[in-house]
Amino acid sequence: MIFRATFVISSEPRLLAALRGAMEQITAVFGWNQTDCRAIALALQEALTNKIRHAYHNRPDGIITMEIQARENRMEFRLTDQGDPPDPEKICARADGSLTPGGMGTHIIRDVMDGVLYSSSPEGNHLALTRNFPEPRT
Amino acid sequence: MNTLVRNTGQTRILDLDGDVDLASSPELRETLFDALREAPRVALNLGTIRYIDSSGIAVLLEALREAQRLDRTFVLFGMNPAVHEVFKLTHVTRIFQIVDTEEQALTTP
Repeated sequence: MIFRATFVISSEPRLLAALRGAMEQITAVFGWNQTDCRAIALALQEALTNKIRHAYHNRPDGIITMEIQARENRMEFRLTDQGDPPDPEKICARADGSLTPGGMGTHIIRDVMDGVLYSSSPEGNHLALTRNFPEPRT
Repeated sequence: MNTLVRNTGQTRILDLDGDVDLASSPELRETLFDALREAPRVALNLGTIRYIDSSGIAVLLEALREAQRLDRTFVLFGMNPAVHEVFKLTHVTRIFQIVDTEEQALTTP
């Protein structure tokens, strides 16, 4: 299936719910079950939340671009911001059982997605996420 | 997100409704911390939450630490499957006192 979409949103937390709903509906089109659709939408929300919190420090006037593209065997999500770049040493998943809340979003993203890649370019800070399509039902 | 606050004996019960995310989690934090200051037991009803993300889970962890600091009981109940999935993904299920029903939440030590 040929599919490509681009969302450009401001770094306003109140917009997250609307985008989450769209992500759940888009992923359902590609055959993921309801649990997986919710998990993918959650991981994308966590990625957007991290950009709002860490790239834009909760300022609502930043811009985040999310490009979605279906490939042969996977869906690609590429998120770009023009805020502060992430500190690689601070991108860490939370330790199991810890009462410290930091790192949970990263934990979710890595659990749900098959590929996670951070990079930077003159256009901004990029986070490329991939999720393989579900196996066809037999 | 909407919160209904009610009291049953020594327990302050908070019924949450709607989505808990980056936009609404500060309000949840304030409500929970107020309840923990004012009541010896706080029970949080998660039965009608449609969605919670790590911002919401982080607030629950903060509330748990505050409950431990103040020597309060903090119980979660009525967790629906969508919320349970997020608890599993964030590996916090065993950290909280989680029961099925309000009746159990009222009697949890």
